[in-house]
Formats: sequence, C-alpha cells, structure tokens
Amino acid sequence: MKTLESRPSSESPSEPRHVVRGHDPRRRGLGAWAFLLNRITGLGLVVYLYVHLAVLSLLARGPESWDSFIDIVRSPFFLALDVVVIAGWLIHALNGIRITLANFAFGARVQKAMFAVAMVIAGATLLVLSVLLFEGS
Amino acid sequence: MNVEVPLSIQRQKGGGSPRRDLFRVSIAESASVLDAIEAAWAQHDSSIQFRHACHHASCGSCAVRVNGVEKLPCVTSIAEVWDGAGEIVVEPLRNFPVIADLVVDVRGLFDRIEASEMRPIRAVEHAPPVDVGEVPRTNGQSTVVPEGIERFMRFESCIECGICISACPTAGLDDKFFGPAGLAALHRARQESVDPEAAEALLDLADGEHGAWRCHSAWACTERCPQGIDAAGAVMALRRELMTRRLRRLFRR
Repeated sequence: MKTLESRPSSESPSEPRHVVRGHDPRRRGLGAWAFLLNRITGLGLVVYLYVHLAVLSLLARGPESWDSFIDIVRSPFFLALDVVVIAGWLIHALNGIRITLANFAFGARVQKAMFAVAMVIAGATLLVLSVLLFEGS
Repeated sequence: MNVEVPLSIQRQKGGGSPRRDLFRVSIAESASVLDAIEAAWAQHDSSIQFRHACHHASCGSCAVRVNGVEKLPCVTSIAEVWDGAGEIVVEPLRNFPVIADLVVDVRGLFDRIEASEMRPIRAVEHAPPVDVGEVPRTNGQSTVVPEGIERFMRFESCIECGICISACPTAGLDDKFFGPAGLAALHRARQESVDPEAAEALLDLADGEHGAWRCHSAWACTERCPQGIDAAGAVMALRRELMTRRLRRLFRR
C-alpha cells in the first residue's frame, strides 16, 4: 500500500444528521445562503420580540421608568442595535416574500434573481433608515 | 498523456472515525474522477470501497462529493475539478449513513421513491426526444409518441443517485424528511395517475411536517441534480396543490 499520507478527517458522516453541517451553505449554492440568512434573522427576530415585550412591560411601572429607559436607548450603541434589528427584519421580510413568490407564483427559475433584488432593496432601505435614525436622534 | 494526480479519499469503516488517505495516481489527462478512484484502488490500495457500475451517468451508483460538491465522478473529468496542483478530495455523500469509505446506505432514498409506487423509467429508454412525432423503428413500423409526454419527462430522468438528498440542507436537519427525490417522485406519480383517489392519497403522503412543507427552499437539489431535474420545482408544485386542496375544503364547509 502506497498511501502518501493518512490523516483524520474533519467530517464525521457516521452521524448523518447534524445541525451545523445541515445549515452549512458552502458549496450548496445561493439558495442555501438565503436559507441560512433567513434562519438566523428569524431566530434573531424571535429573540428580539421577547426582549421587546419585556421592555414594554416597563410601561406598567409608570412614566418615569419608561422615560429613563428611552434616555438609555438613544445612545449611539443602542441606535446601532436598532440598525441590526431593522436589517434582520428587512432581510427576513423580503426573503419571505421571495420564497412565497417562488413557491406559489414564479417558481424556482428566478429565485436567485429574486434573492439578489431582495437584498439590494434591503441594503438600500437599511441605508436610508439608518441615516434617518441617526439624524433624527 | 498521463498525469500524476494527488487524490485524497475519505476512508471510514462502519461507525469508526473517518480519515483521509492521500494517493498519487497516474492516469490519462482526459480521465474521469471515477477513473482516478479506480486507479487509486488498482495502483495503491485494493481495500478502498466505492460503488460504481455503468461509467456513463446512467446507474447513479457512483455519486460522491468531489472537493465538497456532489458529482457523478464517472462523468466528471479530472480537468473540471483539478487545478493541476492541489489535491482532489473525494468524500461520500452527505445525509446518508456511511457503510464504508465512499459507500453510503441509500435504502432511505429508495424507500421514499418507492412510496410513490412510481417506477422510474429513463426517458430515452421509454420514448425518443419529445419533438419527434413519429419514430421509424428498425422493423419498418413506427411508434407514435404520446401527446404531452414532455410534461412527464422531467422526473423520468431520475437515476436515484442521491445527490439531491446530499445537497439538501433540510435532509441534513430532519431524517424523516421525505426528500427532494421522494417528493419529486410523488409529484410525478400524481401527474401520471388516472385514479383521483390514488392521486389524493399521494398528496396526503406529501403533506405534513416531514413532507413538502418541511422544505426550506434552498433549491440546492435542483442546482446539483446531474440529470437536470427540477426537484425543488416539484416540491413547490406539491405545496400549491396542497394549499389549493386546503382552501377548497375550507370553503366547502
């Protein structure tokens, strides 16, 4: 046997179902990247929703607690976090529209083009909203 | 002209941990990746296990991942995947249990395709190209191609290689997922079905959390299919049919 080199492999296919490898978009095409983005933003938005509800519960404690909270979130750090939430929302919403259209109207043929269009719209909208957000505060 | 190709093959026995063995194989410049695997087997190590039969993309048994991408190595030339310097990495398909080295257990795939009671017949064996109306045969008679046959041609080409399952992210996350090939077979069987009850039963099979709804719309199956089958398109078509049926039932009440 003339094996030049034998080394451990990073793969472990004896366990075929694997969360990380299942989501790995590399060498799978643009659609797999869209799926990964949609999943990350989806989970992020769910977490945000609960944080948001927890924050809203401050309202029940009277105007003072709410106002002091608002003062905190007007800082550039929190505004930057707002941009992240808006980005997640834009990507998830526009990709959702793309998937719905691809599922029930246009089919898979234009899914890549639709992803590109959705991301361009998301980027442009994010830019405008970010400027408005920072200028308005 | 022969070239020396560094071929790295993933090796694994049963449930053991995988490793990669590097072989330097001497093969013709025009050789296929399957030729290279066979050369490694013949020139260096006859214990390499891999599956192959027809050598021309007809049997679907040799499907592996070449440099991470699902391919039929029998019709993938060395030139396509080798830059002349680095290694060509050959690994088994994803989302299937590995039996040994490059051989995976494809029973799950066959079970799902058979669930549709669909008998895949290759289009070229069944009928000539669709634009031919009347085909002269060697015995002097002619065969008339059924009208509208092209509608059914898309899935007829499935060679059951398992590449779509390997490429599918959803198949990697849910081992009960019916999978692109299975769902495409269901869709195809529905198109062919003349019995409305049987067609409904096929739609029932496609319903549910492990059926057409599970698909995450990554279109990786369609992208990778070596036969150009739009399996993702079939999944979407099943979703439309399921949705139509639900809406119809909703308003009938």
